[in-house]
Amino acid sequence: MATQSDTIEGFGQVSRRAGIIFRYLLMGATMFGIVTLAILLVYVANDALQPLTADPGWYLVFFATLVAPATLVGAYLARTNLDALKLGALVVGTLAVTLMFSGGAAILFVDIVPPLVSLSYAVGLVVPFAAVVLMTKYEDQIPFTVRVAATGAIFFLSLFGIPGYYHSIPEMVQKIPVVPTEWVIVTFLLGGGVSVVVGLYFARLRENTRAGVVAGVAALAATGLFAVSGLFTGVNPTALAVVTAGAFVPTAAYAGGAALTREHERVGLLFAAVVIFGALVGAVAVDVLGFAGPQSWVDWQFLTSSHSGTAENAGLYPAIGGSILLMITVAALSFPLGVGAAVYLEEYAPDNVFTRFIDVNISNLAGVPSVVYGLLGLGVFVTYLGQATGTVLIGGATLALLILPIVIISSREAIRSVPSDMRQASYGMGATRWQTVKNVVLPEAFPGILTGTILALGRAIGETAPLIMIGAPNVLFSLPTELSSKVSAMPLQVYAWSSLFASEDFYTKAVPAGVVVLLAVLLAMNSVAIVLRNKFESES
Amino acid sequence: MSTDDLETDLTRKTENSPRELLTRSFFFLCAALSVVTTVSIVALLVTEAAKFFSITAPLMGVTGETASLVDFLTGTTWQIHNQEFGVLALVSATLMITIGSAIIALPLGVATAIYLSEYASKQARSVLKPALEILAGVPTVVYGFFALIYITPALGVVLPGIGTFNILSASIVVGIMIIPMVASISEDAMSAVPDDLRQAGYGMGATKFDVSTGIVVPAALSGIFSSFILALSRAIGETMAVTVAAGAQAKFLNPLDPTSYLEGALPMTAAMVQLLTGDITGGGLAYRSLFAIGLVLFVITLIMNIISDYVAQKYREAY
Repeated sequence: MATQSDTIEGFGQVSRRAGIIFRYLLMGATMFGIVTLAILLVYVANDALQPLTADPGWYLVFFATLVAPATLVGAYLARTNLDALKLGALVVGTLAVTLMFSGGAAILFVDIVPPLVSLSYAVGLVVPFAAVVLMTKYEDQIPFTVRVAATGAIFFLSLFGIPGYYHSIPEMVQKIPVVPTEWVIVTFLLGGGVSVVVGLYFARLRENTRAGVVAGVAALAATGLFAVSGLFTGVNPTALAVVTAGAFVPTAAYAGGAALTREHERVGLLFAAVVIFGALVGAVAVDVLGFAGPQSWVDWQFLTSSHSGTAENAGLYPAIGGSILLMITVAALSFPLGVGAAVYLEEYAPDNVFTRFIDVNISNLAGVPSVVYGLLGLGVFVTYLGQATGTVLIGGATLALLILPIVIISSREAIRSVPSDMRQASYGMGATRWQTVKNVVLPEAFPGILTGTILALGRAIGETAPLIMIGAPNVLFSLPTELSSKVSAMPLQVYAWSSLFASEDFYTKAVPAGVVVLLAVLLAMNSVAIVLRNKFESES
Repeated sequence: MSTDDLETDLTRKTENSPRELLTRSFFFLCAALSVVTTVSIVALLVTEAAKFFSITAPLMGVTGETASLVDFLTGTTWQIHNQEFGVLALVSATLMITIGSAIIALPLGVATAIYLSEYASKQARSVLKPALEILAGVPTVVYGFFALIYITPALGVVLPGIGTFNILSASIVVGIMIIPMVASISEDAMSAVPDDLRQAGYGMGATKFDVSTGIVVPAALSGIFSSFILALSRAIGETMAVTVAAGAQAKFLNPLDPTSYLEGALPMTAAMVQLLTGDITGGGLAYRSLFAIGLVLFVITLIMNIISDYVAQKYREAY
C-alpha cells in the first residue's frame, strides 16, 4: 500500500492521453472516407483534364488575368464584408450552373424537340389555360363538377383533337404555311417567357410597372441580339438564344436585383465582375498569344459526338441527351405522385392500420435495391405490358418508382415542418382542407419539397442498374427524340466503356472524361439544392 | 344576397363537396401507389421465380426446362451454359463484399458519428456533414471505376497476388459508400441521448472520453445497431460498383479465408446485370433465374430492413 498516499496527493490528476488519442482517432476516421474520395477525384480529374499538358504561358496568362485579381478582390472582401463576397460568389456560381443547364436545354431545342413543335405545344397549352382562367372568373355560377369536366375536355380537345374530325391546336400550328426560322421561334418562346418573369421581378422590386417593362424589353432584346450575333459568327443561333435566355439574362437579373436592393452587399458584385471578365480576357489573350491549353479529354468533341470504337473519338452526346430526357420524365412522374402521397399521409390520413402499413411500406421501399426496381420495370412494363425494351418512357417510369420513396419521405419532412398554427389559422378562417393544403401548406413547404426532389433526381441521374435491367442499349449513336425511342444515359455509357470496351485507351481517356462530366452535373444539381436549403433555413 | 343563400353557404358541408372528394382521392391514390409497387414487386418476383423451379413450375402451367429448388439453394456452381444454377456461389461473393465493407464502414461510421455528435464544433459539423453526403451521392458506377482503375493497382503494390478483378477493392469502395449511412443514423441516435445523462457523467468526474464511450454509445446502441443492419442491406443490394470491380466469373469462395478476397467472384447483383448484358432470350430459363436471384436478394434485404426497424423500435431507450 505504498502508493496510497501518492494517489491522494495526486487527486486532481487525470491522464489526458487516452482522451486526446481517442479524439484524433475519431477525427481521422471522419476524414478517412472524405480524403480517400478526394484523392480518387484528383486522379480522375487529372486523367480527364490533363492539366499538365498546357503551356506554362497559358497558366501565366490566366494567373495574371483571373487568379491574381480575383484573389486580391476576394481577400479584401473577405476581410471587410463577408456577405458581399458570398453574394459575388453566388453570382459566379449561378452563371456556371445556369450555363450548364441551359446548355442541356439547348440540346433539347436544337436536336430533340424542334422549336416549331415546342411552339405548337406552347400555343396548345396557353389557349385552354386562358379558357380555364376565364372560367374561374365565373366560378360561382358554374358547379364544380361541370368545371372539372370542362377543363379536362378543353385540354384534351386542344392537345389531341378528335382524329379525323377536328385537328388539335399543335397540329394546326405545325401546318401554318409561313414558318419563322427556328431561332426566331426560340427567341420569342423562351426569351419571351424569361423576359416576362424578369419584368415581373423588377416591377415588384421597384414597385414600378415601367421599370418592369424596361427590364423585360431589355431581356428580350439581349436574347435577340445574341441570337442574331450567331448568324455572323457561325455559332448555332438557336443554341445562343437558349443559353442567353437561360443563363445570361437570369444571372444579370439576379445581379441587377441585388445591386438595387442590397446596398450593403452590392460591392460583392465587383468580385463576380472580376472573375467573369478575367476569364474572358484570359481566354482572348491565350488565343492571341498562341498558348495551348491542356489537352483535356473533356472537350467540345467529347460533348458533341457519339460513341466510337476509338477512345479519342468517343463522345457522350447521345448519353447526355438521354439523361436530360430521363430527368424530365422522372421529374414529371415522381414530383406530383410523391408530393401527393406526402400530402395524403401528413394532412389527410386517419390514424389506422392501413396508414401505418403505407408508412412502414414506404420506408421498406426506400431500402429495396435498385436492381430489383430494374426487374420490376423489366417484368411489369416490358413483359406484361408489352412495351419495347429500353425506351425513355419505361426508363423514366422505373427510375421514378425508384426515387418515389425518397421524394415522399423528404416531402413529408418539409410538410411536417410547416407550423400547425398556420393550418389552424386557415381552418379558423373557414377554409376547407384542400384550400388549406393549397394556400398554406404547399406554398410554405415548397422550398423543402423542391430541395428533396432535386436531391432525389441527383440519385436518379447516377443510377445505372435499372436502365441495364430494362434493356437500355449500351451503345446509342443518335439522340432519343421521343418517349418511345431507345435511351442511353451518362452513367450507362460510362459503364459500357469501362466494361464492354475495356482497354487501356478507354480507361485513361473516355471513361475519366465521362466520369468528370457526370460528377459536374451532379455537383451542379446538389449545389442548387444546398443553396435552396440554406436560403430556406435562414428565412424560417 | 338573401339570408337563405347566406345560410346555405355557411352550413354547407364542405368536407364532402366534389372538390374535396376529388383532391382527397387523388392524394390517396398517390399514397396507395407505394403499396401497389410493393405488391407488384412481390407478385412479379414470386410468379417468375416459381416458373424457374421444377417443383413449382407445373403450378404455373409452365412446361420446358426448369431447375431444381434444392440444387439452386445448395449448389455451389453457377454456370448458365451448363444449366448449373447454384446460388451459393453468388451468395458467397455477396457475403464477402458485405463482410469486407462492414470491416471498413462500421468502425469508421460509428467513430464519425461520435466525432460529429460529441466532439466537433458547430462550424466543423456544417462542413463535414455535406462532405459526408457527397460520399453517398457519387454514382456507384463511378465508385466501381475507381476501384478497378486506381485502387486495385495501388493494392497490387502491397499485395502482389491480387487479381484485376477482386473482392477486396470492391469491398473498399462499397465500404466508403455506406459510411455516411452508418454515420448519419448513428449520429441521430447519439444526438437523441439527453444532455442530463452527459452532465451526470461529468458530475461524477468522468472525462469526455468516458462519457462518449461509457454513456453516449451504450445509450444509443439500438440506433447504432439498426444503422449497421441498414448499411449492410445497402451493401448487399449494391450493384454497379461490384459489377465493374468484383469480376465476372462465378466462383464459390470461403468468406473466412483472407486470401480469397484477392480473387474475383460474381456477387448476386452483378450476376443479374451479367445475365441481361449477355445474350439471353426472353422467357428462357436464364431469364427466369434472374427473378429467382432477385427474389433471394429482395427477401434478404427486406428481412434486414425489418430487423433494423424492429431493433430501433424495441430496444430504444425512452427518455
